Amino acid sequence: MMWKSVFYKEWLKIRWFWLGYTTMAIFVILYLFLTVKHSFAFTGGKNTWNNILFLGNQFFSPLKFVPLAGGLAVALAQYFPETVNKRIKLTLHLPIKDNKVLLLMHSFGGACLMISYILTCGLFAGFGLVYFPVQIVTSCMISIFPWFLAGLTGYFLIALIVLEPNWKFRIYYSLIGGFFLSIYLKSPVLAGYSHANSGLFILTALVSVVFLFSAYRFKKGEV
Amino acid sequence: MNNVIECNDLTHFYGEKLVFENLNFQVKEGSILGLLGKNGTGKTTAFNILNGFLQPRGGKCFIFGEDTQHLSPKTKARIGFLIEGHIQYSFMNIHQIEKFYSGFYPNWKPAAYWELISKLNVSPGQKISTMSCGQRSQVALGLILAQDPDLLILDDFSMGLDPGYRRLFIDYLREYAKAENKTIFTTSHIIQDMERLIDDLLIIDFNRVLVQSSVNEFLGNFRRYDFVLENEEADLKRKHFILNIERVKNKVELYTYSTESDVKKYLTDNKILFSNFRQVNMGLEDAFIGLTGKY
Repeated sequence: MMWKSVFYKEWLKIRWFWLGYTTMAIFVILYLFLTVKHSFAFTGGKNTWNNILFLGNQFFSPLKFVPLAGGLAVALAQYFPETVNKRIKLTLHLPIKDNKVLLLMHSFGGACLMISYILTCGLFAGFGLVYFPVQIVTSCMISIFPWFLAGLTGYFLIALIVLEPNWKFRIYYSLIGGFFLSIYLKSPVLAGYSHANSGLFILTALVSVVFLFSAYRFKKGEV
Repeated sequence: MNNVIECNDLTHFYGEKLVFENLNFQVKEGSILGLLGKNGTGKTTAFNILNGFLQPRGGKCFIFGEDTQHLSPKTKARIGFLIEGHIQYSFMNIHQIEKFYSGFYPNWKPAAYWELISKLNVSPGQKISTMSCGQRSQVALGLILAQDPDLLILDDFSMGLDPGYRRLFIDYLREYAKAENKTIFTTSHIIQDMERLIDDLLIIDFNRVLVQSSVNEFLGNFRRYDFVLENEEADLKRKHFILNIERVKNKVELYTYSTESDVKKYLTDNKILFSNFRQVNMGLEDAFIGLTGKY
């Protein structure tokens, strides 16, 4: 029962931001493939292929910062209200272990983002297969995968930064976080991240629980 | 009677600044204890330590026998907590917040919440962020009553409330606590409110406990004597039995636990001429200011 209540609270906080972001992401995918369709119709298939394979003009590059925007929006919607007037005290006073309630909150936010990302990737792959062979679509998916990992990492880092009680630490975390995220967002060379994705995935998994450190510092009364 | 709260040798600093040192106090089961102190004497610090939101530099606090730094979920369920300013999840409406909290407490009593809410002129769909501070206080109180905790910890419950809401809050709370044998540990910057609510008091000043007793005992023993000095230059030396002297020219207010005869003897022995000597009855606010001083 308690987990249902925790999820209910998190849903109330993030629902409009999540719905807004997911809608925006769907529109971006539609825009990308309308552009592809336009390119096929007006410049011809040969030129479109030439652009993608030899000139490096990736039709999916407008998607680059979209997952990250979603991660930041959901994290802010979820964690900022907890810090206004130190409302996190209410959450930590609930009759449930501190780390458990925090991990439930985090899992819910992360799961909502994942749903959006899976939907976005599904649409991308579905529309992609209409216009391109499976090899190209696979390479595109390899290229955009780190951007979605960046979205999740951004979500985890914002939780760390927002829950941190000390401004100086927030600035440090922001700088380190910015550097971290830049690793995920290099130029979109087709399938350029094929050897790095597993490493980035592990990095994201490691970052996923760092926010517990900020909550621990809050509980200790660090100012 | 068991101690619901027990703090032993509590010591805390902010940086190098000492907040309190070796603070000891207890709250007995079924009592309503008010923590009083001037601004900056560590009331909120004590509340934060009690709720496990601050790790003291020294000493320990126990609630229902558990260290407050590591309260179990079972013990947390027995504690109702009101944050200063009646803070709640303002993004929820009054229906949603009741639904949210009810999932955590097996003995949840929705009737207690809705009875209090029915006194407010609000709809179930009204968001807490759009309510007045007084209405929010009733929502926060209703949630605590529905939780039905054994111990209520209320941090500055008067903050932001107009006199009507303060009275409603206090009367409702006191009646509930007495009827259900609940323990309350509270603070408020409005001493008249505390006088109406509490049975026992704990007055802290910078670094130390000044008084821990029942309100009646304190008001019965702590005295104020007013008199006029014949010689405006007369030097009233502080003696151990004189706890505070407030003096405007030749008019003197002297605060002490000693009797009238002891004070008069002191004045006479020191050749201090005086007139219009009288004992002045005090309420809790006068006594608090008399004990801690105006500044």
